Amino acid sequence: MIEVIFVKDGQLVRSIEVPGGQRADMVFLIMPGVSCDVKLDVRLAGEGAEANIYGAYVCGGDEKVSIAVDMHHDLPHCNSRQLFKGIAGGSSRVDFYGKIIVAQDAQKTEAYQENHNILLSDGAKVDTKPQLEIYADDVKCSHGATIGRLSEEEQFYMRSRGITLEDAKVLQMISFIAPVLENIPETDRESVAIQFEDAIRNII
Amino acid sequence: MANDILLKIEGLRASVEDKEILKGVNLTIRKGEIHAVMGPNGAGKSTLSAVLAGKPQFTVTAGSVEFLGQDLLAMSPEERAWAGVFLSFQYPVEIPGVTITNFMKTAVNAHRAGKGLEPLKAGDFLKLLREKMAFVQMKPEFAKREVNVGFSGGEKKRNEIFQMAMLDPTLAILDETDSGLDVDALRIVANGVNALHNPEKAAIVITHYQRLLDYIVPDVVHVLKDGRIVKTAGKELVSEIEEKGYDNL
Repeated sequence: MIEVIFVKDGQLVRSIEVPGGQRADMVFLIMPGVSCDVKLDVRLAGEGAEANIYGAYVCGGDEKVSIAVDMHHDLPHCNSRQLFKGIAGGSSRVDFYGKIIVAQDAQKTEAYQENHNILLSDGAKVDTKPQLEIYADDVKCSHGATIGRLSEEEQFYMRSRGITLEDAKVLQMISFIAPVLENIPETDRESVAIQFEDAIRNII
Repeated sequence: MANDILLKIEGLRASVEDKEILKGVNLTIRKGEIHAVMGPNGAGKSTLSAVLAGKPQFTVTAGSVEFLGQDLLAMSPEERAWAGVFLSFQYPVEIPGVTITNFMKTAVNAHRAGKGLEPLKAGDFLKLLREKMAFVQMKPEFAKREVNVGFSGGEKKRNEIFQMAMLDPTLAILDETDSGLDVDALRIVANGVNALHNPEKAAIVITHYQRLLDYIVPDVVHVLKDGRIVKTAGKELVSEIEEKGYDNL
C-alpha cells in the first residue's frame, strides 16, 4: 500500500516502524501556501524490510517548509529509498535535512537518498543537508542534493516550437517533480498532477 | 515583384555579451527559394539563425528583419514560430522528463491557439504524429521518449525534421543540419526538407560543407565571413568554395 499525504500547515511528526519482510511506501505532497515542519523517523526493524519515501513541494510565496528524515537501518538486508523534489519561488524558504543511519549489524543494506530543488527567484532560499552515518562495511549507500534554476536553453528550444514561455516553464517544472508523482497510485495520479500543474501555473 | 518577398534582412547587427557578431547583414529571400549560407567557423552563421528565431541571449543593435511584411524582431520566439518561422538546431536541446508526444502536443496546440483554433482532438493529433514520424523514418516508440535524451546525433536531427513536418513552417532555417550525420541519415533529412518545400515557402540552409547541398540544391548561395555577406551567387559558388576554400574568395 502506498500512502499519499497532502501535508497541511503546521507540524507533522511520524514514526514508522517497518517489520521484517514488510514494505512502507509514502508520498508527501506540499502545495503552495503550506508552511510546514515535517519530521519523519523511519526504522527498518526486521530483516528484509523496505521503505520508499517520496516528497514533492511547490512554494511560491513566503512559505517555510522544513523536512527532516531519519532513516534507521538496524538489521541486514533492508532497503530504503528517499526522493524529495521541489520548487521554491517568491520569498519561500525550504530546509531539507535527511540522514541515513546504518548500524554495525545492518550488512547488505541498500539505502539511497536524493533531494533536488529548483529556485525560481532570487528571494527564495533552499538549504539541503543530506547525511550518511554508516557503521557497517558491506553496504550500498548514496545521497545527492542539487539546487538549480530552470534552463533557458530548454525554454528557447520550446519557444522556437511555438510553446509560450509560461507553458515552457510549466512543462519544465511538472517534468521535474514527475519522478515523485509517478509513485502515486494510478487512480489518483492524474488528478494530483493536474492539481500541481494548476498550482505551478499560479506561482509563475 | 515586391509581394514575392518572404524575408528581408537589412543592415542587421547583433551582439552577444557586448561582442559584435553580425556586422551588417543584408539578405532578401523570395517565396520558393532555397538559400545556402556558407562560411568558415566563427563567421556568425549560427548567430544569424539564432537572431532570426529570437534567442534572448543575442541583442540586435541595428537593422531590420521583415517576414511576410511583419517586423520579425518585435516578435517573441513563440510568435515567430506561430508566424511560420522554424529553426532546426545545430545542437538540439535535451528536455528530460518531457516526452516527444507531450512536447509536440503542446507545440501544435500553441500554434493553433495562436491562430485562434481549438486544440487538436487526441485521435487526430496521434494520427498526425505517427504520419510525420514515419515520414522521417523515426520508430513509433520514440513518441514516448524524452525529447532528445539519449538520442544519437542522427536521431536528434531526424527529430528536428519531424518537428518541422509537424509544424509545417513557411521559413525553415536549418543550422548545420548535416553535422554529425552519416550518409543515410543525411539523405533522410534532406529528402524530408525537399518534400516539405513548395513555391510558397523558403529555406535557409546554413552549412560549412558542400555535402548537404548535394541533396538540398540551393537557388542562391551566400558566403558569410566576419559577420557580413561577402559574396552571393548561384549554386556554382558551392563547388568554387569547395575548391578554393573560404580564404581565397
